[in-house]
Amino acid sequence: MSETIHISIDGKVVDAEPGNSILHTRLQGEEALTANIGCMGQGVCGSCRCLVRKAGERSAETRLACETVVEDGMQVSFIDYYLPEHLHRYRPHDLRDGWQALPQLQQTFPEISQCRHCSGCDRACPRHIPVQQGIALANSGQLQAAAALFDPCIMCNLCTLACPENIRPNHVGLYLRRAQAIQNLRPGDLLRRLEQQARGEMAINTQTDNTRSEV
Amino acid sequence: MSSAIHYLQALANLAAHDRPPLRPADLSRSALLAQYHPDNAGNASTLLQIGPSRGQPCHPRLAALLQSNALIDGFDLAGAEQRSTDVLVIGGGGAGAAAALTAARSGAEVMLASKLRLGDSNTVMAEGGIQAALAASDSPQQHFDDAMRGGHDAANPQLLAQMASDAPGVIRWLIELGMHFDLDEPLEDGGKLRYKQAGGCSQPRILCYRDYTGLEMMRVLRETVELDPAITLLNRCPVVELLSHEDGSCAGAVLYDLEYQRFIVVSARQTILATGGCGRLHLQGFPSSNHYGATADGLVLAYRIGTGLRDMDAFQYHPTGVAWPQRLRGGLISEAARSGGALLVNGLGERFVEELAPRDVVTAAILRECAAGRGIERDGQLGVFLDTRPLGANLASRLPALQHLADKCGIDPCSEPMLIYPTLHYQNGGVIIDGNGQTSVPGLLCAGEITGGIHGRNRLMGNALLDILAFGRRAGRQAARLAQAARHKSTLPPQRGGIEHVYRWQRQLALAGLDSSLQAPLLYPGQARLALHRPTSPHA
Repeated sequence: MSETIHISIDGKVVDAEPGNSILHTRLQGEEALTANIGCMGQGVCGSCRCLVRKAGERSAETRLACETVVEDGMQVSFIDYYLPEHLHRYRPHDLRDGWQALPQLQQTFPEISQCRHCSGCDRACPRHIPVQQGIALANSGQLQAAAALFDPCIMCNLCTLACPENIRPNHVGLYLRRAQAIQNLRPGDLLRRLEQQARGEMAINTQTDNTRSEV
Repeated sequence: MSSAIHYLQALANLAAHDRPPLRPADLSRSALLAQYHPDNAGNASTLLQIGPSRGQPCHPRLAALLQSNALIDGFDLAGAEQRSTDVLVIGGGGAGAAAALTAARSGAEVMLASKLRLGDSNTVMAEGGIQAALAASDSPQQHFDDAMRGGHDAANPQLLAQMASDAPGVIRWLIELGMHFDLDEPLEDGGKLRYKQAGGCSQPRILCYRDYTGLEMMRVLRETVELDPAITLLNRCPVVELLSHEDGSCAGAVLYDLEYQRFIVVSARQTILATGGCGRLHLQGFPSSNHYGATADGLVLAYRIGTGLRDMDAFQYHPTGVAWPQRLRGGLISEAARSGGALLVNGLGERFVEELAPRDVVTAAILRECAAGRGIERDGQLGVFLDTRPLGANLASRLPALQHLADKCGIDPCSEPMLIYPTLHYQNGGVIIDGNGQTSVPGLLCAGEITGGIHGRNRLMGNALLDILAFGRRAGRQAARLAQAARHKSTLPPQRGGIEHVYRWQRQLALAGLDSSLQAPLLYPGQARLALHRPTSPHA
């Protein structure tokens, strides 16, 4: 592992150790990293999203830097994060009525019917979610099946960036998942415990026999 | 490195038994902790010399940051952009999001500033789950008793009782926002919740969503905050100093806007610090499971403006961090693995501790095995085995994050063990708060990992996600209440503060003979420091 390879990060050629991730290579640089870094390798935060082009290849792929191992001659360009101008605003409260699910979905995400099937979202997803299929399912009213596809989504927004119709697929997926929980989840255990507490039961006695080393 | 058993030999020793025998315990739990827990190492504690908690023990690395100089001076406030709000929330994790949402819901105008982006935090990385005593056989009292015992009876009983009592309401709140929980029977009883066993608990009480509970929670919280018109979001705006009024109360904060490379002065009626812990300081040289941003920023600022701290020498080293391969060192393997039946095995092929003892006990036991030469060495990395084979075939569906991690390690968890070593995971202590998250400094509240007293000196699995939401909501509600009371008194925008507390602090540093060239908060870990001030050009 003594050989050093070279990759370029945002236009700057840096030395890298084989076996390391792009993120760890970038961490060894001279500047403090203030963006595109987060969970340090767990792959759950989506902040280190980047474009990667391998040596000799023509096209670039979207990847997570923390989960991508360096290869000699790789070119990497990190993708800035910004809050888009037009957010589809909705409140959790709006999702309570399951009978309104379809018209509400179309109202909240009017672009959803405009999918061109370009598969840009599928290719962008670092979690290999069949995004386009999820949108197609949602369009046809199969909301549960659509929601289930987005279960492992880390909300990196790469599909949103890739979509030429501004569908924001990951946010559609999250919307559908949330609607499901809001409408259907009523655990009996929880209802009973809340009701007991409302009646003033279940109070906690904080007096124990142990001596306390209160600092 | 002390001697260790080679990986291949250890594999052979593991294969020698159908079920690894348990090594007889020859040390009591307290002796084990005293001799092997990293908190009790000779160099793991020093006494604070200045500030409200002077004379109290604190980890030396943290003490250096706490007793340091500010990053800014008075002239930085001149010409800075001026903004004002009712409630300023600092920190974009679960506690910050819960505080912001609750304050907004209570009618306050809210600003949330985040160092990286909203959601970039330890919350999103949490795997195991959240404790709530919901089962008919369970009660908030038992939840309280377990956590009290696990924290070595050092917790503030009032705070802990509040947390345990708040739990059912917190779960309801999460479901109302659209969070899912694992169900045993989706069609039974409105969705029969699955309860998992946590270390140190009298019965199964952990609610989870697969083994990425934090991701499921944070993606819902983040979306709710982003879509709330009453919350102004400032991403990539780390806080560099708090502001104070002449009476010592908190007046808001100074942020540094990375996008435009300039300071922003936010005058706030109430300020909530929800900046998390300090895992990225790598205390005692340990790897960390923590997020890049966990650098104790809020702790430093809170101490400088005058809040008391407690248990600053008590940290949680999670028993099972990845030890091999080196590039993934410190990454977390959730306690859910042991909860589901995974075993800890030393190089001789023996179990050596009850896998679901409290975390500090398990960690000390692992470190003892390594110190006694019964650890396992692979490519220069030291650890013990986590034998995941007992989890069986549904590992990939029940614990997808573990499967994903094992894939990255190049290990098949259904047929071979993973090498693990403790990893710095959580800050047990922190800022002293009351039941509403208020500190001793008027106008300043704290919520989440930055606070101390809730978990005593050792937190149990599943109580962190609960703590951040229970106290995030409490702090948000209280801040909104106080801000509105102030608004009724005067319709003028909140008064602008200054940094008089920094000058007082500098005098204390000088009197104590401490080095005032050290500056904090750190903001970003690693060698390179962010330059807040552009170098003056040679032509000027």
